[in-house]
Amino acid sequence: MYSSPSGRCTNRFWFTDHSNCTSSKSSRRFFCLLFVAAISLQGSKIGAKDGAVTDAEIYESKIKPILVQHCYDCHGYGSAEGNFVLDEFDSTEDAISQPELWWRVVKNLRAGVMPPTEASELSDEELETIYEWVKAGPFKIDPENLDPGPVTVRRLNRAEYGNTIRELMGIDFDEKLLFPPDDSGHGFDNVADAMMVSPLLLEKYLQAAELVVERAVPKVTWIVPRQDFNGDDFKSVDSEDARLNGRRLDGKKAAEVQREVSIEETGRYLVNIDIKQHGSFEFDPARYQVTCTIDGEPRFSVELGWDENKRTSFEYDENWEAGKHKIYFQLEPVIPLSETGEPMIEENEGTSVSFEIDKVSIEGPLGTERRVHPENYERFFTREAPPAEPAEQRKYAEECLQRFATHAFRRRVEMKTVAQLADIAEASYSRPDMTFEAGIGRAMVAALVSPKFLFRIEATADGVADRGYAPVDEISLASRLSYFLWSSMPDEELWKLAEAGKLREQLPQQVDRMLADDKAKAFVSNFVGQWLRTRDVLDTAVDPAVVLGYSEELEELREWVSERFRRGRGRGRGEMTDEETAKFARYREIRSTLERIDDDLKRAMRRETEMLVEHIVNSDANLLDVVDCDYTFLNEKLAEHYGIEGVKGRDMRLVKLPADSPRGGVLTHASILLVTSNPTRTSPVKRGLFVLENVLGTPAPPAPGVVPELEESANRFKDREPTLRELLEVHRESDLCASCHARMDPIGFALENFDALGMWRERDGEAVIEPQGQLVTGETFEDIKGLKRLLREQHAEDFYRCITEKMLIFAIGRGIEYSDEHTVDQIVGQLKESGGKFRPLVHAIVTSAPFQKQRIPSVPETMVSKQ
Amino acid sequence: MKKKLNLSRRYFLRGSGLAVALPAYASLGHTSLAADETVAPKLAETETGAPLRMAFMSIPNGVQQDNWFPEDGFQLNNTMKPLEKLRDHLQVIGGLDHINATPGPDGAGDHARAGATFLTGMRARKTAGSDIQCGISVDQVAAQQVGKATRLPSLELTSDLIRNSGSCDSGYACAYQYNLSWSSATTPVTPEANPRLVFERLFGSGTPTERKQNFEARQESKKSVLDFVLEQSRDVQRQLAASDRRKFDEYYAVVRDLEQRVENAERFRDPPETEQDTPAGIPKDFGDYMTLMYDMLLLAFKTDSTRIATLLLAYDGSNRTFPHLGIREGHHWLTHSQREQELAEKVARIDQYYIEHLAAFLQKMQETEDVDGNSLLHNSMLVYGGAIADGNRHTHENLPVILAGHAGGAISTGRFYQAEKQPMSNLFVSMLELMGVSVNQFGDSNGKLSLA
Repeated sequence: MYSSPSGRCTNRFWFTDHSNCTSSKSSRRFFCLLFVAAISLQGSKIGAKDGAVTDAEIYESKIKPILVQHCYDCHGYGSAEGNFVLDEFDSTEDAISQPELWWRVVKNLRAGVMPPTEASELSDEELETIYEWVKAGPFKIDPENLDPGPVTVRRLNRAEYGNTIRELMGIDFDEKLLFPPDDSGHGFDNVADAMMVSPLLLEKYLQAAELVVERAVPKVTWIVPRQDFNGDDFKSVDSEDARLNGRRLDGKKAAEVQREVSIEETGRYLVNIDIKQHGSFEFDPARYQVTCTIDGEPRFSVELGWDENKRTSFEYDENWEAGKHKIYFQLEPVIPLSETGEPMIEENEGTSVSFEIDKVSIEGPLGTERRVHPENYERFFTREAPPAEPAEQRKYAEECLQRFATHAFRRRVEMKTVAQLADIAEASYSRPDMTFEAGIGRAMVAALVSPKFLFRIEATADGVADRGYAPVDEISLASRLSYFLWSSMPDEELWKLAEAGKLREQLPQQVDRMLADDKAKAFVSNFVGQWLRTRDVLDTAVDPAVVLGYSEELEELREWVSERFRRGRGRGRGEMTDEETAKFARYREIRSTLERIDDDLKRAMRRETEMLVEHIVNSDANLLDVVDCDYTFLNEKLAEHYGIEGVKGRDMRLVKLPADSPRGGVLTHASILLVTSNPTRTSPVKRGLFVLENVLGTPAPPAPGVVPELEESANRFKDREPTLRELLEVHRESDLCASCHARMDPIGFALENFDALGMWRERDGEAVIEPQGQLVTGETFEDIKGLKRLLREQHAEDFYRCITEKMLIFAIGRGIEYSDEHTVDQIVGQLKESGGKFRPLVHAIVTSAPFQKQRIPSVPETMVSKQ
Repeated sequence: MKKKLNLSRRYFLRGSGLAVALPAYASLGHTSLAADETVAPKLAETETGAPLRMAFMSIPNGVQQDNWFPEDGFQLNNTMKPLEKLRDHLQVIGGLDHINATPGPDGAGDHARAGATFLTGMRARKTAGSDIQCGISVDQVAAQQVGKATRLPSLELTSDLIRNSGSCDSGYACAYQYNLSWSSATTPVTPEANPRLVFERLFGSGTPTERKQNFEARQESKKSVLDFVLEQSRDVQRQLAASDRRKFDEYYAVVRDLEQRVENAERFRDPPETEQDTPAGIPKDFGDYMTLMYDMLLLAFKTDSTRIATLLLAYDGSNRTFPHLGIREGHHWLTHSQREQELAEKVARIDQYYIEHLAAFLQKMQETEDVDGNSLLHNSMLVYGGAIADGNRHTHENLPVILAGHAGGAISTGRFYQAEKQPMSNLFVSMLELMGVSVNQFGDSNGKLSLA
């Protein structure tokens, strides 16, 4: 019997014998033709409109016959598989005027997911013909003058705001305490269109500006000499622990830190000590005792606990001889006692309570005439002291504010703006109770809420417009670079080059310099953090007790323990029976197994993925190592988690993997395996989707209109619980579900050998894991090692294109449009040519049209809004 | 002006039967001022002249269907058992739909879509971020009309901080999932997640004395800063190309809005006071977190700092675990595993857990006396629910909706109101009308839902 059109297509595809198709069906091939297309486009084809052949004629003579042969079965003649029809255009012009439709065609052909059957596969030439026509015709791409695409003015996101403030003001500032996370779009939180401005946010900008200026900008000209120290200056008394210092002390671990200070003159000194209590966003009841001594004499001893950035100050008047003096802090956790007075066994939940020695300042000698500038004075004020005469003062105010605003706005400021700022300063410092410096501070608050600070306002270079697009000026380019690679404002070197008009000339050197800079860590945490989701690792709540199968036993033991200790008020552990001793030992064993899965381990997981990318960046390894490689980054804890021997100590390092190890490549990193799991079990669907979206860049299939009910079909497993694989197979029996799940599930199943914590397993409960499968593009594989090899060897181009698109989105702050197709082709070409290296990719991105250029503001609206 | 204000107060005193102890509520005076300016109908007031409040609380992933709706005669079902004592002050409504949350031509992504549709009644445009669009939300329609009556036009809160990087639900921008309120079709309103920051918005930071002393100076400084910012924004607007400007126009509107609020603030120079301590931050326990955010809502209503609020308890699609209830599986995952009785019961237990916190909040609202002697709950309209009915099948018809409060006596309660099948937006139109905001149509409404 004739089945429905949908049945014809998907089923035929799904049940075809694929025994011969272990090689990629089309993506490799398509990649080659992509270059042919690119090259021929650059040749004479653009001239088609001048006379030779029009796009419409090509459509009729070349394109349509291909569609008839390969596509109409399902997308024509009244069939509308996936609600997608290719033969119902009003006219040829109508067909050409639907770029979004053709974009879908191109994406599906390129990914090899269409056409779904071997039989109807397109030849290289046919693919090339379509791609070439789509780019020149519907997309109207002119390779000689590439469209940089639409731009939306970009606001600094939370991370960029924080970095910029720190760079500009020279202070520490934790933006996470004040600002909500930004909404993301296209996978990144720096996509302009997705970033909202709400009244709440503006209030927060005001609040933050006040706070930052209060802390950073001096309010007076002269002060008594002082020495300032912060937490980093206080080192551990125990010389073994070199990393421990007073910047951050864990409230649950005992510690001692100290600092010697040198005094030149004997006299009276004022010692100010500011300490801070911290807590991560969530409340934690732990408490601790902090004791401070100066030269061995007790000064204060306080019990503290969780708080958000709470500061407490202490002041001591000391008579000091010239020479060295020691300031010492001791932290002791306060162990809570149970009702019966026994120390409570603490659940290990990671540390969210910490203590900081925020500032220790020593002011003096008091009672003398010696005066100096306060800290940070030169950053904001150019002269020794403000002049006394009002007109001179005003002039000086303008001088300071022009300098500040130029930095803050990352571009030269108009005198009108400077005058407005000076007005604010003047109105303030003219009041009797205000200093000149404090007045300048008021104007700085205004500057920090200005849209010119909060947004990246760009301009095009003068006089070099070319048919609708012009390069952005070098100052804008400097900002684009620094926010791309550093998530922060340009530094002095970039600024100077841009001012001199030499940045474009030196672009490659500058990119290399920037990548080598410590600030490039922001690129890893922001780009990689979102692309590979390493940002989410610490917040992902996978329950180790359930995943490792201890939850019921642990629950019983826990009840027993609490019962036993409540009743046994008079009986210590020594009086336990043998059975009880064994039970208690078992309880502790499980506890310690589970406690291994802590934040330290999760941090190691996150670092593993970050370090792989850092390694590829720095060693010029092929980016395909992200997918498959024979090394990874481990410390003892993570190696133990993976069952890999011979790695000792806390430090993460490069480890060459044994030949039979399934690890290597991010698909086998616990970080990704964890964030794509549900709290109690793996999710093959989420894992498969992750690979499609972030590694292969496979386009989303047509979405089902209605999610059908699974229950009836699942009823066949009456007597037993179906395995995950069986359930999902039921799922795929429906054509509707199959179109999507056939893409995701096989990849997810290959990863089933890793549990929700990323640990290796052969079984899921009773069921033996069956990792073998077949990709939607036809190739088969036996297990995760085979899948990784397949992805690396047969799908390199898909991966190159995927990472190119992701990085381009991150770099230009908007989603990819069809008008970017040729740009992406070019970058992918350069990436391929370089042997898949990271730096050439970054270079290709920063020299691409969207990064370098802008649509010219004066272009008539009709041309601008063609997308 | 003065005279009118006094009249209004006397009227109010008579109505409430109070002879002495005029409560120090700024709102009554200000409402009257607003009335003077516009000669408008009563905005956000009950019959007695007391403030009328509206709030919307959203729960994720639908509800377990067998345990939600009451049985005949308003016998509360399992999930709603915690509301037993309050049943006279609320109604459970059936028959309301959000057709715009269904897949339609857009396919997968029911959770993001539901989040966006819940208070807007509109279909979210399927986009990963380039051109998000939905519709203005019911609370913001109200806030734009009656918001001037209070220190804050509206309050947007959330007790859900969990966010994933990368893509959100099936090709929808994350904004759809993480925001309930929309001040325009393209502008979601970020909710505040930190109770301490909510508290400081309501009552200011520092000691009350400090706040009063600094008011003049701060007000002056804030004005000059905002003047400068507005001036700069005009500069920038001129510089930007039309196509580039859309996002910036949003910013400009927000600056204008804040400027008006700062001016408005002069009428509220004495911030309300409260005995309550500033909350330290976000509690570790999710239940405590919800309670604290509900408390902030209560404080805001009690002090008449605002009359309009939204509280996103957890975003739709939330996969939160509830280990202390013995539920270690994720909520979202569970809703799709309801074939198994045991797991379906866990879903119902989670639903009940959310209801327990609602009940505690309603109880406090009931115990708090309003200016007219009635309870705060009496003078409120509180919607609790979501835009998914059955979390397993992602249905958007016969949605879970509880409407608590009497709107000052204007609506009937203590019933299972099985309304004729209609858009949920009809309920919003009726609520807006009670707030004194007359709209012919909202979202996908095709009429009103009679609440009397």
